[in-house]
Amino acid sequence: MPVGKRRSSLIRSPQFSSLIMFIVLLAVFAIADANFLSPLNISNMMAFLPELGIIALGMTLLLTAGEFDLSVGAVFGLAPVVVMLLVQNGQVDIGVALLAGLLLCVAIGAINGLIVTKIGISSFLVTLSMLLVVRGAALYITQGFPLKSWDQPGFFVTLLAGSFNIGSFRFYTSLWWFVGLSLLAIYVLRYAKLGNWISAIGSNRNAAVARGVPADAVKIWLFILTSVLAGLAGMISAFRISAASPVAGTGYELEVIAMVVVGGTALTGGRGTILGTIVGALMLRSIRNGIVLIGVPGLAYNIFVGVIILAMLILHALLQKNAARS
Amino acid sequence: MEVLRLQNLQKSFGSVRALKSASFTLDEGEVVALLGDNGAGKSTLIKAISGVFSIDRGEIYVRGQKVSIRSTRDAMDLGIETIHQDTSLAPDLSIARNLFLGREPVNLKWLGVFAPLDLAKLRDAASALLKRVGISKKLDADALVSTLSGGERQSIAISRAMQFAAKVIILDEPTNNLGVEETHGVLRFVKEVRAAGHSVLLITHNIHHVFQVADRIIVMRRGEIVAEQTVADTDLLTVESIITGADMSALLKETRAK
Ligand SMILES: Nc1ncnc2c1ncn2[C@@H]1O[C@H](COP(=O)(O)OP(=O)(O)O)[C@@H](O)[C@H]1O
Ligand SMILES: [Mg+2]
Repeated sequence: MPVGKRRSSLIRSPQFSSLIMFIVLLAVFAIADANFLSPLNISNMMAFLPELGIIALGMTLLLTAGEFDLSVGAVFGLAPVVVMLLVQNGQVDIGVALLAGLLLCVAIGAINGLIVTKIGISSFLVTLSMLLVVRGAALYITQGFPLKSWDQPGFFVTLLAGSFNIGSFRFYTSLWWFVGLSLLAIYVLRYAKLGNWISAIGSNRNAAVARGVPADAVKIWLFILTSVLAGLAGMISAFRISAASPVAGTGYELEVIAMVVVGGTALTGGRGTILGTIVGALMLRSIRNGIVLIGVPGLAYNIFVGVIILAMLILHALLQKNAARS
Repeated sequence: MEVLRLQNLQKSFGSVRALKSASFTLDEGEVVALLGDNGAGKSTLIKAISGVFSIDRGEIYVRGQKVSIRSTRDAMDLGIETIHQDTSLAPDLSIARNLFLGREPVNLKWLGVFAPLDLAKLRDAASALLKRVGISKKLDADALVSTLSGGERQSIAISRAMQFAAKVIILDEPTNNLGVEETHGVLRFVKEVRAAGHSVLLITHNIHHVFQVADRIIVMRRGEIVAEQTVADTDLLTVESIITGADMSALLKETRAK
């Protein structure tokens, strides 16, 4: 491919337009309020970012394979609640309880995946029902009350919610989780054999199956992965704020899907970009943070967030059309 | 030399007996045309051979060996490559990635599905293949399949079947929706594939194409093989009447009259 052609396809790529949009937003917020880029505010944004970002990585892979998961927000709430109940009422060791929580996520993901692939019900319906089951379970087993989370210093607190300072910035270990998992996801989707399969399944499932790609197994594992990442993110969050609430993560499923599609991953499958998702996650977090700082009234937040998401999607669609024409 | 032999293949979908009983053989370097009206069971027959679904009853022999084909992977490993009616390519992947889909060249093989693709090898092999089939001038191995025309996609699918030195290449209505030029390209491919020693099972509705490239004709009707003839021994009109069943009804009338 000639250099010129390659450059123009880079500029047309959805990740690139997301990145430009992100930089523009940063500039607007920074000019509107000097505190936006202060160490304290950036530290704040970075504390929240990994929790949704980690789920978004799994969701990107799942969307690329042509499926999605609406139960992630509920799993985010249930996993830490189960862990804390086991510790507080069952006297289970915290490490064992965390493992049990993750295994529960594996089971939820596996059930989603099996029903979608083997019975052939759309992932929208299956995971919507799962959302209700999981959220309902979290509310029932806690009787609706938040639990105090594990806060005794030790290995697991450091591992999930430890913090460290770089200059006047304060970061949580969860940022490392996000960075590490992002690198892994980039590798898998772009450079590994599995990534080729994931994209092919989302692009044309029958073609992939005809080439011997185990499409159902790949999808089931991606449902499991997404569920486990949602549970992990829930545990990280609960440890950070020392509370496990049965309603934690409400609405996260849509926020996460927004991050992914704003980054340029196609909702219809086949085209996914982890870099785009990272930009999308950064963008949505900074929008939520920035509109507070510039004084948008609280009840009007979602209007702005929705309009910006729409603008991004329109931009992607126009670029796509343009690329198809040339 | 016989490459593929089917004996009494049967397949039902619920109460629909899509394949009642099909038997035939395919020889090395032979192009056999499979004809029949819509719903005759042609796609069902080739899906059974290519492992898309399993057969209810019957036997499949490859080079005289009885085989069981349970998955598309089984069929590919036996040297049977199929280009299905519904397109066989993933439009969002590059030509190179499509050509090697399911058989990706990788480094560090022990990593299994997590093994990194050997991108240099992937691109070189794809370019070499495109050159071999004579479409390298126009096409870039990195181009997305979604940017290609129908004929170009069909050519890619056919060259993919050729590259793994498949013994048997099955084409299900490969010239549907193609322009004149593109159709000639596909027919030329079929001839090249035969010249290279592969066997071809060609499903088509166009009898003119059959007479251009096929050695033998098999006609299916309602899940059964109703006629088998070498192209040299027949003509267009005869074949047409066998497909529509006109000759049969004429024959029946004659026997009833007697
Ligand atoms: N997956 C399926 N489920 C149910 N019926 C099917 C299926 N595939 C094919 N059939 C039926 O089997 C018969 C043969 O179809 P097919 O093999 O596609 O015919 P052809 O390719 O010759 O047009 C038709 O009656 C069709 O409706
Ligand atoms: Mg058919």
